[in-house]
Amino acid sequence: MNQYRVMVIDDEKIVCDMAKMSLEQEGYIVETFLNAEPALARLKEGRFDVVVTDYKMKGIDGMDVLRTVKNLYPETDVIMITAFANLDTAIEALRGKVHDFFPKPVKIKELKTSIQRALSKKK
Amino acid sequence: MIKVIEDLKSLFGHKRGLPFNVLFERFKDVLKNNTRALEIITDMGEKLSGDYLFDINYIKGAYSELTAAVKDSLQGFDMLTQNSYSQLHETFNRIDGQIRGALNGRIQSTDEMVIFYENIPWDKYPVVGGKNANLSELKNYLKLNVPEAFSVTTHAFDEFIKHNNLQESINAIDVNTAESKLKELQDSIINSEILPDLEIAIGKALEEIRKRCGGDCFLAVRSSAEEEDREFSFAGQFETVLNVPLEGGAVEEAYKKVIASLFSEKAVIYMKQLGYDISNFKMAVGCMVMVDAVSSGIIYSTNPHRDDAMIINATWGLGRSIVEGEVDADFYAVRKVLTPEIIDEKTGRKESMIINQKDGGTKKVKTPDAIRDKPCLSEEQVLELARLAMLTEKHFRGPQDIEWAIDKGGRISILQSRPLKVVETRDVIARSEATKQSLQSTEIASPPSRNDKVLMKDKGIAIQKGVAAGRVFILKQADELDRVPKAAVLVSKHDSSNFVKVMPYISAIVTDTGTPTSHMASLCREFRIPTIVNTGNATGILKHGQEITLYIDDDGKNVIYEGIIGELLEYADLTFRRMEDIYEFRKKRYILRYISPLNLVDPMMDSFTIEGCKTMHDILRFIHEKAVTELVEGARYGLKGRHPVKLDLPIPTGIVVIDIGGGLDIKPDKRNATYEEITSIPLRAIIKGMLHPGVWHSDPIPLKVGDFFTSMMRMDDIVSGSANFSSQHIAIASKEYLNMGLRFGYHFNLIDSYCSENQRNNHIYFRFAGGATDITKRSRRIQLIADILKEYGFSIKTKGDLIIARLANIGRDEMVNILDQLGRLIAYTRQMDALLHDDSAVKRYTENFLEENYKL
Repeated sequence: MNQYRVMVIDDEKIVCDMAKMSLEQEGYIVETFLNAEPALARLKEGRFDVVVTDYKMKGIDGMDVLRTVKNLYPETDVIMITAFANLDTAIEALRGKVHDFFPKPVKIKELKTSIQRALSKKK
Repeated sequence: MIKVIEDLKSLFGHKRGLPFNVLFERFKDVLKNNTRALEIITDMGEKLSGDYLFDINYIKGAYSELTAAVKDSLQGFDMLTQNSYSQLHETFNRIDGQIRGALNGRIQSTDEMVIFYENIPWDKYPVVGGKNANLSELKNYLKLNVPEAFSVTTHAFDEFIKHNNLQESINAIDVNTAESKLKELQDSIINSEILPDLEIAIGKALEEIRKRCGGDCFLAVRSSAEEEDREFSFAGQFETVLNVPLEGGAVEEAYKKVIASLFSEKAVIYMKQLGYDISNFKMAVGCMVMVDAVSSGIIYSTNPHRDDAMIINATWGLGRSIVEGEVDADFYAVRKVLTPEIIDEKTGRKESMIINQKDGGTKKVKTPDAIRDKPCLSEEQVLELARLAMLTEKHFRGPQDIEWAIDKGGRISILQSRPLKVVETRDVIARSEATKQSLQSTEIASPPSRNDKVLMKDKGIAIQKGVAAGRVFILKQADELDRVPKAAVLVSKHDSSNFVKVMPYISAIVTDTGTPTSHMASLCREFRIPTIVNTGNATGILKHGQEITLYIDDDGKNVIYEGIIGELLEYADLTFRRMEDIYEFRKKRYILRYISPLNLVDPMMDSFTIEGCKTMHDILRFIHEKAVTELVEGARYGLKGRHPVKLDLPIPTGIVVIDIGGGLDIKPDKRNATYEEITSIPLRAIIKGMLHPGVWHSDPIPLKVGDFFTSMMRMDDIVSGSANFSSQHIAIASKEYLNMGLRFGYHFNLIDSYCSENQRNNHIYFRFAGGATDITKRSRRIQLIADILKEYGFSIKTKGDLIIARLANIGRDEMVNILDQLGRLIAYTRQMDALLHDDSAVKRYTENFLEENYKL
């Protein structure tokens, strides 16, 4: 079975841990990062199908992640989650071709559905 | 009519000068803020359920909204009660401090020397030690029977060491210290002085124990070191002193003996091996009331050699003989399934037993021949122990080593629970195997399709998802709640926050009525009990004692199958159990412990006090109940300028209405109104009940001679009674509110009710007192009223011929039905005491009423 690879970037450990646990349950290979720098470095080493990233992080933020990913790996879908959701950030994210945009707390089931949708395009 | 107006005039002006409209507005204000706060609590429960990805920002934001709402509610409450409950602010500040501490990852420090088990919160293990923390968790959270006990804290230990200048000798210890040196240190501890503060604290605690258990009980004084019974068990490393008399001196001696054992040679070596720094190691001590044990023993909740079974050892008298391997104990192996079964048993030859001595201490005696070779547990007791062990294992998420005892009354007490290390490695392997397998399957979240018999499908509203199975227990009356067995599926007509008493150990809840916003619903989410409410007729479809399996999926779709379906149970809450393995999740979720649980369940209980408030939910509940009380007492006052309107009804009730907004639909200058013109929801419902065909008996019931004299003598008591009784037949009503006093003959009814769309705000308060006949007959009428009201879920308090009944958190339609029944009851029982010649009449008339047969 070809397993899909999902990357999760969030500066809070609880989000990474919970996301990893629940996405692994779906059969994905999941890697988590507490900040974006090593995450982007890791992207160079191997393909990820979906990147789930927090919007507001110290250093490189979610919007930078989105831009970099879409620029270098256009096939990889980016899902953004943020505790500071407002219309401007959503519009900005959409312009950056985000696959989906969720305010936190996000229902895990909805996140899973969104990932499945992103992956079904790739089949 | 003139008389009524005179009555009213005499009442103008509240004793504290609060006009009723102000009082009522403040009351509504309190309700509004309470609702807002409870909605935030519900939201937090949902977001922290394991179904959402959340971060600390969410918790901080939601909590700050919650404190704002609770503060607003408190402020309104202060104005309503004119600061009668100002200590509530201290309680709020204390709980708020605990939550903020937990949010910042700070463990609360304490300067308390002694803490009773019921006051030990989850994060106190560093100050009470592992053993005390685990037991208090079982007592406070799972509500298991743990004897009365208190912990002498690590703070007391620190102070003791400081007071006696012992730290230097302790610092000098390492694994190479000679045994004689250690002995010297132990002796100096035993000969040390107990500092005055500690002496006082222990003295007070003993006084409290005496108050709770009587003066003739004894204590077990046991070690509870910081890390003991947590990561490592320290089994058998430290001293235990059993059967210590309830005297300061004896307990202090035992205390010193126990803490001295921290420095025994074997303990020092053990701690060193585990890498502990002995100079910083602290010991708390547990002082627990001794069980006068008929039998005792140990449970390994998982057999180290067989995962699906547990082991129970039992012996006569105290369990120490098993721990020390001195006796050929009885042995049981029990299969760990929903309905546990004994798969193997062997009765030992128990040559000796350890018993409590009359004046303190224990002794080993020869077991009487008659019982030596007899099993010391009945089958029922074995199974009950097994159920308790499964519950404990589930709660602590791992195999447990449990000590228990059974007293002469057959009551099981839990004396210790600690992780069973020997199995953990195996368990971890098993779990990672399971994880591996589950990773290969993407269908883990949905159960296989089934051909089993479906009893109910997609009825009602799902409150908490999950899979559960058990025997149906149909709850007919609130006071049967104590009889609900462990692992049962509780099925009831109404929902009730009282169910919190059994929530830690039942499998599921199904009710005929109810809504997702009730107190009970929040509690079910908190305890993660699969729950469906508002099914219509579950009490009719499901049979008492029937085995069922219930499945509720993520989207709230639900099915109830006949029988226990093992495969389905494997899917039970798998995600949540995995989430619980994540430390950060567990830690963050624990904050809810200070927010959501409800300890103030029943306003009629003695513990319904400010001191009893342990969570934000408790504070809100306290505020609501006391706000209602304030309204009940204050509603009769300050109605100046309002016109009384007489109700023209087909029955001579003599009720006049003071409409405070939307209570009547009449022209402003009209002075009378018909039933059709009543727009107050609660008033209309009560009057509808009173008008119900056959309930109002107009023929006077003849009094016997004795009753007649009693009635004459009681006139004075009644007329000179409190102001609450002097304003009869007045109904203060708005669209959603009613406060009405009714006097019929020599007895009085007071009804206060709020009946709105928001279930959480609704209440009925009913008070009934008096009567013309002798006290026996009047008491019988009280019994009859109590029996009938219990059927409708009221909490009841009676004293002589007074009854106070309360009901809250009921949806509006249901409220209207109950108020209708209450109206019927008021009419039906008007002259009933004169007919209650014997106790059997109480039963007869109660049954008649419930069957809608109102003949007298």
